[in-house]
Amino acid sequence: MAITDNTNFEPKILAFCCNWCTYTGADLAGLNRMKYPDNIRIIRLPCSGRVNPQFILRAFQKGYDGVLVCGCHPGDCHYTSGNYFTRRRFLLMKRLLEFAGIERERFQARWISGSEAGKFRDTILKVTEEIRALGPNHRMKEADIYD
Amino acid sequence: MTDIQNILRERAHALLDEGKIACFIGWGATRFNERAMPKFIFKAEESSSLVYNEHCLNTLAKYTLDFQYGAEKVGLATRGCEARAINRLIADGRLSRDKVYLLGIPCQGMLEHGKPADKCVFCRHRNPVVYDELLGEKTIELQNPPRFESVLELENKSDTERYDFWQKQFAKCIRCYACRNVCPACNCLECYTEQYRTGWQGKQANTLENSVFGFTRAYHIGDRCIECGECERICPMEIPLMKVNRKLVKDVEELFGVEESGLSEDEIHALGSYNKEDLEEFM
Repeated sequence: MAITDNTNFEPKILAFCCNWCTYTGADLAGLNRMKYPDNIRIIRLPCSGRVNPQFILRAFQKGYDGVLVCGCHPGDCHYTSGNYFTRRRFLLMKRLLEFAGIERERFQARWISGSEAGKFRDTILKVTEEIRALGPNHRMKEADIYD
Repeated sequence: MTDIQNILRERAHALLDEGKIACFIGWGATRFNERAMPKFIFKAEESSSLVYNEHCLNTLAKYTLDFQYGAEKVGLATRGCEARAINRLIADGRLSRDKVYLLGIPCQGMLEHGKPADKCVFCRHRNPVVYDELLGEKTIELQNPPRFESVLELENKSDTERYDFWQKQFAKCIRCYACRNVCPACNCLECYTEQYRTGWQGKQANTLENSVFGFTRAYHIGDRCIECGECERICPMEIPLMKVNRKLVKDVEELFGVEESGLSEDEIHALGSYNKEDLEEFM
């Protein structure tokens, strides 16, 4: 395992945002000049139902310290039912990741609507702080296991 | 058991003789006394080589897929695990019920290395849940075997202990994919592990990719696992795969109220459906 300096640790967080709610919410946060940490990398998707649970494993493998999945509130999905499937999938995946030994804070999911710019900012702040407190992720990370 | 063996031979003989089935899938003897192997009977006179004893460990249902494109029916010796596997294949759209003729066998549990097999200790369906005819009397089912005990034990440990446990287990994996090949729920026409251009899964057999494969496979079958225990039995490296499968079965039961899979041929998968009243953790 590589020895890393924890004092200046800046977490790298991957956020999957649905085009119709969360991405619009992030847009609104930008328009309102809200400040949130730049530790987040956003991937825009048509729907949170597009997020294959394997994306999460892949993100940890490729070196992300945390993963956030965001979508419309249940009942508000642009495609009627996409986020209901997302909810089931990630309720299960969250527990599997914990069972595999990945800390529970490293994977999170939130519903953020297009008008909830404040909630978007608060979520990013909270997730970043939680992962900063945990330190860098070495579990299931390619670079650390095969250095 | 010899009674059942005799009836099984008789019925297989009759069915092949009448031309009702083109092949009968059962168990045959091996050169070891304590081992039986899958046996495919194509001629009526061969049916005397069928064997049924306490060493018939293999769950045979997945072999029916080899006959799915033929015109004829195939006969199958069907215990609890085979019956649920047949339901699994039908519910997944891989097999049609009129392609198989099921000779139901009430199972007493099998032996592996002289003691009750791991796959049979926690079995809740010794009698077949689906069959065309039943050979012998129904057996008494095990009452609530403690199948989630080992899962709970691991759940109560710390993250680090769990991570180390699984990494140690998957370090042994040689990626032979026997678990996938034997699993009745792993019935995709093309497995994601063979899609070499998509980048879903690294091919290298190292601890990390092995564990990613292990957890992904478990998740793929999470809501459809019939708990036949074949993956764990077949694993040449003795990885406790049922521990992660049972974890998912347990969670599906707790979260979505779908208790067991493979009990009927028109069941709806837990992850292929939703309920508006599902648990809300992501608010």
